[in-house]
Amino acid sequence: MLSVLVWVPLVGALIIACLPDAIAPVRSRQIALVFATGILVWTGVILAQFDPAIPGIQLFESLVWLEPLGLSYQMGVDGLSVPLIAMNGLLVWLVIYSSEADVRRPKLYYSLMLILSAGVVGAFLAQNLLLFFLFYEVELIPLYLLIAIWGGARRAYAAMKFLIYTAISGILILAAFFGIALLSGVGNFDYAQLQEHSLPMATQMILLTTILVGFGIKIPIVPFHTWLPDAHVEAPTQASVLLAGVLLKLGTYGLIRFGLGLFPDAWQVLAPVLAMLAVVNVLYGSFVAIAQTDMKKIVAYSSVGHMGYILLAAAAATPLSLSGTIVQMVSHGLISALLFFLVGVIYEKTGTRDVNVLCGLLAPERGLPLIGSLMVVGVMASAGIPGMMGFIAEFIVYRSSLPIFPVETLLCMLGTALTAVYFLNLINRTFFGRLTDNLAHLPPVSWKDRIPSIVMVALVIVFGLQPGWVLRWSEQTSIALGQLGDRTTTTLVISPLKTPAPLIP
Amino acid sequence: MVSLESKPASAAINPIILRIEQGGALLPDTPENVIEVVGILKSYGIVLDAYWRNLTYIANEQFLVLFPFFKYFNGEVNLDKLLKHWWHDRINYEFAEYCMKAMFWHGGGGLDAYLDTPEFEALAKSAIQAKVSGNLLMAPLNRLTPQFLVEQVRQLCYYSALGQFWDVMSDMFLVLSDRYDRGEITSIADVVTHVKNGLVAAAAKPITYHVNIDGKPYPILPESAGLTFLADTALPYVETVFLRSFPFFGTVSYNAQANQISPDQADFTYGALFADPLPIGGAGIPPTLLMQDLRHFIPDYLHQVYQGGIRGEDDLRVKLCISFQKSMFCVTSGAIFGLMPHPLDTTNPSEQAANRSHITDWVKRLEDSRLLQVQSS
Repeated sequence: MLSVLVWVPLVGALIIACLPDAIAPVRSRQIALVFATGILVWTGVILAQFDPAIPGIQLFESLVWLEPLGLSYQMGVDGLSVPLIAMNGLLVWLVIYSSEADVRRPKLYYSLMLILSAGVVGAFLAQNLLLFFLFYEVELIPLYLLIAIWGGARRAYAAMKFLIYTAISGILILAAFFGIALLSGVGNFDYAQLQEHSLPMATQMILLTTILVGFGIKIPIVPFHTWLPDAHVEAPTQASVLLAGVLLKLGTYGLIRFGLGLFPDAWQVLAPVLAMLAVVNVLYGSFVAIAQTDMKKIVAYSSVGHMGYILLAAAAATPLSLSGTIVQMVSHGLISALLFFLVGVIYEKTGTRDVNVLCGLLAPERGLPLIGSLMVVGVMASAGIPGMMGFIAEFIVYRSSLPIFPVETLLCMLGTALTAVYFLNLINRTFFGRLTDNLAHLPPVSWKDRIPSIVMVALVIVFGLQPGWVLRWSEQTSIALGQLGDRTTTTLVISPLKTPAPLIP
Repeated sequence: MVSLESKPASAAINPIILRIEQGGALLPDTPENVIEVVGILKSYGIVLDAYWRNLTYIANEQFLVLFPFFKYFNGEVNLDKLLKHWWHDRINYEFAEYCMKAMFWHGGGGLDAYLDTPEFEALAKSAIQAKVSGNLLMAPLNRLTPQFLVEQVRQLCYYSALGQFWDVMSDMFLVLSDRYDRGEITSIADVVTHVKNGLVAAAAKPITYHVNIDGKPYPILPESAGLTFLADTALPYVETVFLRSFPFFGTVSYNAQANQISPDQADFTYGALFADPLPIGGAGIPPTLLMQDLRHFIPDYLHQVYQGGIRGEDDLRVKLCISFQKSMFCVTSGAIFGLMPHPLDTTNPSEQAANRSHITDWVKRLEDSRLLQVQSS
């Protein structure tokens, strides 16, 4: 059942790749959209089959593949991964819908989009460490090509930087996976079996640190973040949306699944360091965002900052904070994707993303009033205005982290205020004032440009008003993951906050 | 930052002065401008027709009605019209009132002077007395503040005067459109000549106003006051609505404490010719209301031109505002020609110099308006 999400897009990519050149420009997008719709519908079916009351892996699939290598085709879904595959299904559909039919090299473009989707979903579903690594590497190639072929002026540099960073990330993760598989004596990469290891603390610390650096590059954690602004700035809008929306989540997902999941004892020791790194991420990302003039860079550095919240809550590792990480992942995925969509439309229409050049885009008739209004909602959500998803996510993160890391949490709260600073600055300079004469003849905005953003704004508001609709999927998994920490409290430096279950009455 | 410092005349206005001396207009003569100007004036003529009827209705039928809830209904109050009104499926009569109030505030011309005479006050009080006698609310009010209702009557005079002015202008613009349809108008000069001739023909038309109270007529502006169309309504209207208007509408913020607004109303430059189409309503009386009305009556040939633009229908009101300003530059050109001290084709050097001075004064006054922008757009 889960494999459909992986193999159907690959079949779609193959069909598009085989299209005759004569019909490719017309049919590629349509076929990709059909497959994306299929993925989205099937994701809905999986959600319907998923039982939120079960904390563990569900809909498990297993197939022996390369047994001597310890590689099995094991797929499963739990409360940690199910919101992420849902978000992937939605965002893939939206990016394909918003892509131009006359995009250059359409067969390759749409094929890569579908391969990217398959890789990401595969990574979220893999229950074998080596299988996860394979999918983790698979998504690297299409994203590299999307940046390198359809990117901006410095695309070659950005794509290569992304490739190098992510390749190093992959090597470190692979090394850690091999380390635990070999040192634990399990002899294969089965996630469930590896959870039962009894490695000494020193070994756990080394392996966890390796994993932390590996996924830290992907998240990204400062100082491993420098690839991200370049990749975002040079990537086409659709790639930026997927990058911010789901690909960065591979890092946080991996950190929780394989860091906390496999090394809960070491996690508790490293947690204060993680919390400090979260503070650095939040403050560094926010302050650098304030200094930027490129809208995409502002959103990119905002992403760096907001990933810090996930890190903070993950470090706290309580049931509630782990719920916070998942909600923050979804929240950041939707909001940052929304902002990248909107920046993409602005860039497409005005030819610039420079806040020093843009002015008065909220002008009612010749500006981009709806896009501007959606942008205002998006930045409000990002700044944690109540009634929107950003508020709920950040509130849960702060509420759950404060008893564990009070100083770090307070410093991270400063990041929320800074988010308002750089985004209000962006809004004020770009959308208010008089539309300058050189911007008075902008082309019209089609519904194709508007609908993805409208859909995401609607979700941000709906989930902001009804956070339970997101939390319910991951509640039991969060409790189970939090209890991993409880198991180790006797040997821990820090006792995690015990939150009464259930999280939602 | 808005500055009040006057700037020296730029070389950019010299070609405009030269063009007017040669019989041209403030607006360049291009086929596109002719379509825009004639098309918008046709729509404007229809809208003005509705405006003047409502202004006249208010002046005549809503005389000293202190709570005129249904003043925009022209006496026809029913559920259908009420629902349309609330749904805003209607003419924005508020725009006409803004113009009236601007004229009332800025004054100028013989009407303004007459409204301060004892003769007017006596006529007004006579009508007021007839209106308030037996009225339990208004009679004590009139006794308590005897100048309040007189001031209301002054305002109603402007309702009536502007209604009479727009009655003439509405017909003039609709006839222009008919002549264009017959192929008689082919250039901007033709438009200006049509307007000038219309203004001159109506110049001496008397402006009068009387109300009927209980079946008895009460003169407010009698013919003996000598108020005429051109001097007492047309010129104050151009001065007020085209040039001065209000500084406090629209989206541009003015700070009077920072001397961004002149203490002298004569220096105001917030009129229709100065209004910024981007965003609409950037200065003076909000043109947005007028543009919303104009968009319902655009002739097909002009609609096609607008639809050919890059934003199609999306920025229709901006295009309407730009076209409207172009047309008002033509009307202003007609006024310049109508007030020319000597015939344009005079060979007398001193008369030529006087004409040039007259033209230069007008063009310099318009230098900071949208005049230079419409030269190229």
